[in-house]
Amino acid sequence: MVAATAGIDWRAIAQDFAQIVGDRHVVQRREELLVYECDGLTSYRQRPALVVLPRTTEEVAQIIKVCDRHHIPFVARGSGTGLSGGALPLQDSVLIVTARMNQILDLDLENQRVVVQPGVINNWVTQAVSGGGFFYAPDPSSQIICSIGGNVAENSGGVHCLKYGVTTNHVLGLKIVLPTGNIIDTGSKIPDMPGYDLTGLFVGSEGTLGIATEITLRIVKAPEAIHVLLADFTTVEASGQTVSDVISAGVLPAGMEIMDNFSINAVENVVTTACYPRDAAAILLIELDGLETEVAANSQRVEAICRQNGARSIRTAIDLQERLTLWKGRKAAFAAVGQISPDYYVQDGVIPRTQLPYVLREIEALSQQHGYRVANVFHAGDGNLHPLILYDNAVPGELEKVEDLGGDILKLCVAVGGSISGEHGIGADKRCYMPAMFSETDMDTMQLVRQVFDPQRIANPDKLFPTPRTCGEAARARAQQHFSDVERY
Amino acid sequence: MSAIATTLQSMLDSTAVHPWADLPSALQASIAQAIMPDASPDCVVYPSTVEHLAEVMTRAHGEGWRVLPCGYGSKLSWGGLAQDVQVVLSTQRLNRVLDHAVGDMTVTAEAGMPLAVLQQTLARQGQWLPLNPFYGDRTSLGGMVATGDAGSLRQRYGTVRDLLIGLSLVRADGQVAKAGGRVVKNVAGYDLMKLLTGSWGTLGLLTQLTFRTYPLPETSRTVVVTGSAEAIALLGQALLASSLTPTDAEWVVAPGLDWSATPAQISLVCRFQSIAVSVETQADQLSQMAAALSLPCQIYRDDAEATLWRAIAQQWDNEAPALTCKFGVLPVRAAQVLDKMQAMVSIDVAAINAGSGVGHLQVPITDDAAQCITHLRQLCNAQGGFLTLLRAPAALKQQVDVWGYTGNAIALMHGIKHQFDPQNLLSPGRFLHGV
Ligand SMILES: Cc1cc2nc3c(=O)[nH]c(=O)nc-3n(C[C@H](O)[C@H](O)[C@H](O)COP(=O)(O)OP(=O)(O)OC[C@H]3O[C@@H](n4cnc5c(N)ncnc54)[C@H](O)[C@@H]3O)c2cc1C
Repeated sequence: MVAATAGIDWRAIAQDFAQIVGDRHVVQRREELLVYECDGLTSYRQRPALVVLPRTTEEVAQIIKVCDRHHIPFVARGSGTGLSGGALPLQDSVLIVTARMNQILDLDLENQRVVVQPGVINNWVTQAVSGGGFFYAPDPSSQIICSIGGNVAENSGGVHCLKYGVTTNHVLGLKIVLPTGNIIDTGSKIPDMPGYDLTGLFVGSEGTLGIATEITLRIVKAPEAIHVLLADFTTVEASGQTVSDVISAGVLPAGMEIMDNFSINAVENVVTTACYPRDAAAILLIELDGLETEVAANSQRVEAICRQNGARSIRTAIDLQERLTLWKGRKAAFAAVGQISPDYYVQDGVIPRTQLPYVLREIEALSQQHGYRVANVFHAGDGNLHPLILYDNAVPGELEKVEDLGGDILKLCVAVGGSISGEHGIGADKRCYMPAMFSETDMDTMQLVRQVFDPQRIANPDKLFPTPRTCGEAARARAQQHFSDVERY
Repeated sequence: MSAIATTLQSMLDSTAVHPWADLPSALQASIAQAIMPDASPDCVVYPSTVEHLAEVMTRAHGEGWRVLPCGYGSKLSWGGLAQDVQVVLSTQRLNRVLDHAVGDMTVTAEAGMPLAVLQQTLARQGQWLPLNPFYGDRTSLGGMVATGDAGSLRQRYGTVRDLLIGLSLVRADGQVAKAGGRVVKNVAGYDLMKLLTGSWGTLGLLTQLTFRTYPLPETSRTVVVTGSAEAIALLGQALLASSLTPTDAEWVVAPGLDWSATPAQISLVCRFQSIAVSVETQADQLSQMAAALSLPCQIYRDDAEATLWRAIAQQWDNEAPALTCKFGVLPVRAAQVLDKMQAMVSIDVAAINAGSGVGHLQVPITDDAAQCITHLRQLCNAQGGFLTLLRAPAALKQQVDVWGYTGNAIALMHGIKHQFDPQNLLSPGRFLHGV
């Protein structure tokens, strides 16, 4: 439940905030608030009452203390690229934006650790350490704009997470301002500190347990060699089987990505890579990295496995330019789909890898049944699907139908033993699907944690878990009921 | 027989409840290591289904019985002492593999499954769970998770927290809950896997665990280089700065082993596991790096390698009373810290993982053990780290702080414990600051 906010004197609150961060860093004019009314999931919009941009942990703590005192909900926001409405403001809420908290506080190459403020952009970390031969492994496609704070909150993945793991595997410590305004430190540069693993608990908590104001990251030695293989197949099944065979053969690529025929053509229409054959049912991109000798040997094995599975052609890229060429189409996939359709809706579900052929057939059937085209692009190595549903938002009622299709795809993922989110989070978008995966008791157990961190329920309330108010009867939950009080576009 | 044991026998079959007096003395002694002296529990219970386990816990919750969860008891001697325990709840009979999804490389098993048996099952399909905790021949999955004891393969594979992707647990009120799932990538809901890993049985009884598995590596080589702390530290830094990818890399002091027997010397033990061409190249490169520092280097393969690792594990695993600690220091200081420890105490065996700075130390019990712990802890704390007592005589555990937590989140940890277990029934007093 959202804390009661009736009768808040926003002018007085704004003054309190101005004393903490200075006038310039409190946004209250309607037109300036506009940019903050949605995140990457633009179909939900809500203007916050106030936006405040702190620079230090202490400022964040003071702001939250004001919220705590007045029972005002607050929502943290990094770069606002989230795709599940995590940073979507609530009515009568304060949006705390970390954009000014953008300092790298400690570059400790000797110990392979970096300490950053939450507003630091993901790929600044790699840029800062690459001179020393390191990189920061979690690399969401949004890495040039998304913030580390947002990555921590969503436990973001990336193309290389098959081998290197996701955000949680790389976060060793946090400074957290709790929803009470108290500050705690969890973990450190050294893992396994005694006590509960609060760092691990916080990562992926989607801004509901407080605001991370310092983040200690592990960095990784850059590999000696990288090979990228591109194979194309006449059936999607064959590409899926190749992925399974590669992994069973004991090769762990940095990443494996599949695009289906529809995505291939979308990409070729728009960016004309001339690498992806238009008549292929699927293309498979495999990136291998590591020691020179190992990569060379594995590259040959993978090529053989592709051939055994009927790959029509295989291209291997070793130097940087060539590798980028092969990746170009995959990287442009979302944008390309954006150009062939007025709008698209990105779904994020996970399935056990071996279910890939079945699930893709079912998605095709659902697509026909609902009457919307679906382009499939996915992190195949870990079974993380990103079906892109094409539609036209200008047609009234379309979004609801598309969300229904998206919901059916999620249920399909759960039915085969998967998950309703691999990396984009639950946020506002998917909380009504939580009961598809978790029982009341499961969710109550998770809520025990929230109760400790946020007894007043002011930290991004109404996100992540379904409530009777937002989802009605869980079984009949429909995405479009989530934010009945929110304007829709 | 006590009223508690009688009640439990009426609920479960009689073979599932063992009154304290009927227990073999070895088991009594093992349990005694986990609880405050001068009090013994009523009975040990071995439910064979999750339903039974939940029923027992529900009853305990209703009656206010305090419960000590355990698996095979291999690590009961570790950690703090539980208070006023009435029921010891063992998961030993919850020991099935529920689902080995071979193609998906995940495995779900009950918490009482012995790790060693799971490894055999996985190996038949060419897979493994790349964890090598202490006493790996007799540790249950649940015990490994509850103590967060991962082992040295963390250099490549991370720890329990990185491999555990889903779980079910019985809460203090007897309700069964789950979190995570059976897929390797999943961000739905809070990550209770992380919370439960290393929670020492204070938050719930783990019943089912799902892990990510890996293909068994084709070949393996272990390189051992021994020298002065300074030289070995340099070698370690060179290794970490190189593009070599050891699965295991540790600084080791183990006077009981030939190669490590020279006083004031430290060894770097480094294992490479991959395809043949890779492990050979890597072992060669490391020996060249050692040669450049004029350090002698030995490469182990096949049987010799297996023997080497067994010998190292045996150094830790002996019946003789000893003080075993887990500690952490900044990785770059590790060799130096080992050197200092050698000067402070007579080390039975010690090892620090190169990448993480997390280590273990075993020393004989001396009259000034309490003081030793204080000094060792000061040494670790000064390097930004910590030192926790794992195995030690009960008297010593009552005398010194077992955990050595120096942070500022105790209130929050108490809050979590209180939410999950308001009556403080689960492993009461075993975790830090009475959590
Ligand atoms: C084109 C595009 C590609 C993408 N590709 C990927 C991808 O490959 N993999 C992937 O995982 N995601 C991807 N995303 C999703 C998104 O970029 C990630 O979720 C990212 O981590 C969000 O970061 P942000 O800074 O934009 O966070 P925001 O959107 O601002 O916030 C996200 C959530 O984090 C919370 N939050 C923000 N900062 C903090 C903090 N300091 N403390 C606590 N909570 C905080 C917010 O309250 C919100 O709940 C993509 C998005 C786009 C638009």
